Amino acid sequence: MVSEHPFPWLLPASALMVIFGLYPLLYAIWLSLQRKHPVTRKLSFAPSYNWSKLLGDERVWNAMGNTLVYTSVALVLQLVLGMLIALLLDSDRKGYGLLRAMMTLPLVIPPAVTAMMFLLMLNGSFGVLARGIIATGLLPPGFSILGTASTAMAGVLLAEVWQWTPFMVLIMLAGLRSLPKEPFEAAAIDGATATQVFFKLTLPMMSKVIAIAVLIRGIDLFRAFDYVKVMTDSGPGTATETLTSYAGRIYFGNADFPYASTIALLTLIIVIFVSFVFMKVFKVKL
Amino acid sequence: MEQPRHLRILRDIAAVFVTFMFMFPILWWALTSIKPISAVFDKDRVVFFDFVPTLINYAVTLLGLSRSGIAIDQGIGMGVGGAEAYDSRRAILDSVVVSIGATAATMAVAIFAAYALSRMAFRGRAGYLNWVLGQRFMPPIAILIPLVTIYKDAGLRDSDSLYGGYFGLMMIYALMNLPIALLLMKSFFDDVPKDVDEAAMIDGATRWQSFSKVVLPMVRGGVAASAVLVFIFSWTEFLLSLFLTTSIRTVPVKIQTFVTSTGNEWGFIAALGTAAAIPSFIFILLVQRHLVRGLTLGSLKE
Repeated sequence: MVSEHPFPWLLPASALMVIFGLYPLLYAIWLSLQRKHPVTRKLSFAPSYNWSKLLGDERVWNAMGNTLVYTSVALVLQLVLGMLIALLLDSDRKGYGLLRAMMTLPLVIPPAVTAMMFLLMLNGSFGVLARGIIATGLLPPGFSILGTASTAMAGVLLAEVWQWTPFMVLIMLAGLRSLPKEPFEAAAIDGATATQVFFKLTLPMMSKVIAIAVLIRGIDLFRAFDYVKVMTDSGPGTATETLTSYAGRIYFGNADFPYASTIALLTLIIVIFVSFVFMKVFKVKL
Repeated sequence: MEQPRHLRILRDIAAVFVTFMFMFPILWWALTSIKPISAVFDKDRVVFFDFVPTLINYAVTLLGLSRSGIAIDQGIGMGVGGAEAYDSRRAILDSVVVSIGATAATMAVAIFAAYALSRMAFRGRAGYLNWVLGQRFMPPIAILIPLVTIYKDAGLRDSDSLYGGYFGLMMIYALMNLPIALLLMKSFFDDVPKDVDEAAMIDGATRWQSFSKVVLPMVRGGVAASAVLVFIFSWTEFLLSLFLTTSIRTVPVKIQTFVTSTGNEWGFIAALGTAAAIPSFIFILLVQRHLVRGLTLGSLKE
């Protein structure tokens, strides 16, 4: 007999979280307080070394800026497009169910494969998307979108927005479908325009759903890695380097675990802090 | 509110057009996978349908046909990579083993914890839920760097330890998927009224019997939906698999090796990419009904 006590029920999950989650996290904190000697490769305790290095490292600030741009641009585009497409597809008429099901397909392609897909389509000489843009005259022939510092981020964002807008569409559709009918009928009787209905009724009533979607998407966007790694490898130069990819580059490049850990922890601190504030301000409860 | 007919048609056209825009990259990808090399790399025009379809890319990546043999057949000369470089059967096997193992481990761990968190009142319950949720918020990179060292020391990372590689990836995927599986299962358990357990226990069932014989069968659909989502997330994962193992290569990592210094093997990349997406497509269509609940960790229901 298993007792009424929750302990045995929680034991496996707790063991997993302690061994593979908590222990490495504490290890990361310990690492961030060590200094790796560049020649002897020995670690020595130097609690402020990495953290002060971090504050003075321009590449950290560049990566932070890129991560913020990436997160906010993708979030706004996905939210707006997601809402518009959800409104468009929210119909009970024949065929719309199929369109909604098709809309979910991009979500399950491995992001590393999606990145390859866009790498091919954005290739300046034979990529179908790049050629389409070049044909409109906006870009010169043979232009490399991902190889040019000023446009690389936009190229990476294209893949990101394509893959994850359907996430927003799905959640907004669920939100739209759970709205009560009465206020909308009343508004129709009062002769409200579609725009008024959307801004005065739909949007406020969807605020909880939107907040949850923004929170979940936001924390995933902030860890951006896959598209950047595959499509531009953080380049050209550091034009698309995010916090996660910078930490990865340091790790693989100079094997400076302590400093890479410190940057990774910075990412963690920002995510926890921002999502905590967000949840308090918008009263979101997951 | 009935829309006028012409507006309705306009909306239908817009809906189909937008959906098509989102389908286009997938279609293009599938198309690329059956194109001969010359049609992919045509610098003069974009080749849509005027090419002779070929299954050669699938034969090389999925069946292990020799690449250099094909290169000679197509008159390109000797292939760059070795014969095995594009044979992805091992990678597919690795991905299948890791994803199924990770799904089984995640679900086994999550179901018990979710039941306790749904049914039992105890001190620290809210704190425990926050701990689980905290795992979801944590960027993987934060634990990844120490994990590489930990895995190395434990013999889970290096090339001589195949089972270690499997085990290591399964466990970290289980950790990453635990929040979604646990919170989703909790929301399914919460849907079953507490009276059900109480009635069973009044009839003499133990807590364990009430869980395994009564409540668990009632949430079968939820278990299936959660397992499918965990499988998809494990199947598509890239960062952890890239860093944490050298003994095995999952498909998303394998596909990156087709990018070579002499040029990208787009045909092979597209073939393997298309093949890798198909299981996910089937699975996602099976769990449409619970998708929103799953993606929002149980907090929104459809």
